[in-house]
Amino acid sequence: MSARDDEIRRVVAELDVHVAKVEADLAVLKALLADDEVPAEEDLS
Amino acid sequence: VHALADVTGETLRSWRQSKGWDVPRMARELRKAARDSGEDVAAHHGLVKMIPQWERGGRAPRERYKLLYLKVFGDIARDLSPGMALGTDFAIRLAEVRSRAARLPGPEEIKALEAAALAKPRESMTPAQIRSRAAETITHLHEVATKLAELSALLGDDGDKS
Repeated sequence: MSARDDEIRRVVAELDVHVAKVEADLAVLKALLADDEVPAEEDLS
Repeated sequence: VHALADVTGETLRSWRQSKGWDVPRMARELRKAARDSGEDVAAHHGLVKMIPQWERGGRAPRERYKLLYLKVFGDIARDLSPGMALGTDFAIRLAEVRSRAARLPGPEEIKALEAAALAKPRESMTPAQIRSRAAETITHLHEVATKLAELSALLGDDGDKS
């Protein structure tokens, strides 16, 4: 395996990690919006 | 990526013919695979000219086109060339990671999500946590862009779109 192949594999592995982190963070943010959680205090009156 | 180095013009022709596809159909399949990955490729008529050249061995496709072939013919590549399995699997993984990266939203969309989340009070996450999470997401998004650029440079994706 050439050094270039190793380099491609390393970059792909790092790319995979960063993509997974963005996907996970996005899932959290979208879940917040999708979740019909507690209404705001002013709505409880 | 040995799988890519091992793909000859004859192999490309045998993969296409095994599906019973003519050259225009092959061009459509490559463009469809590229669209799914969010990549730009040559126009249909350009591919129709290039595919026979690649198959005759007169001109070697760039690696990003070989990756598209592997995406289209992943199963066949494994079956016909067991010795290439590891490399082929890696090439497919590469295409999948790039495809996932291409589907990510931009920073503006993340900022919009942050604003929308901040507008709806939550017990599960404080505004500071929401801001922090959005900032972290954008940081990782920049890292994704950096890695994609590194990868394009390594793969020689320098605009062979004609």
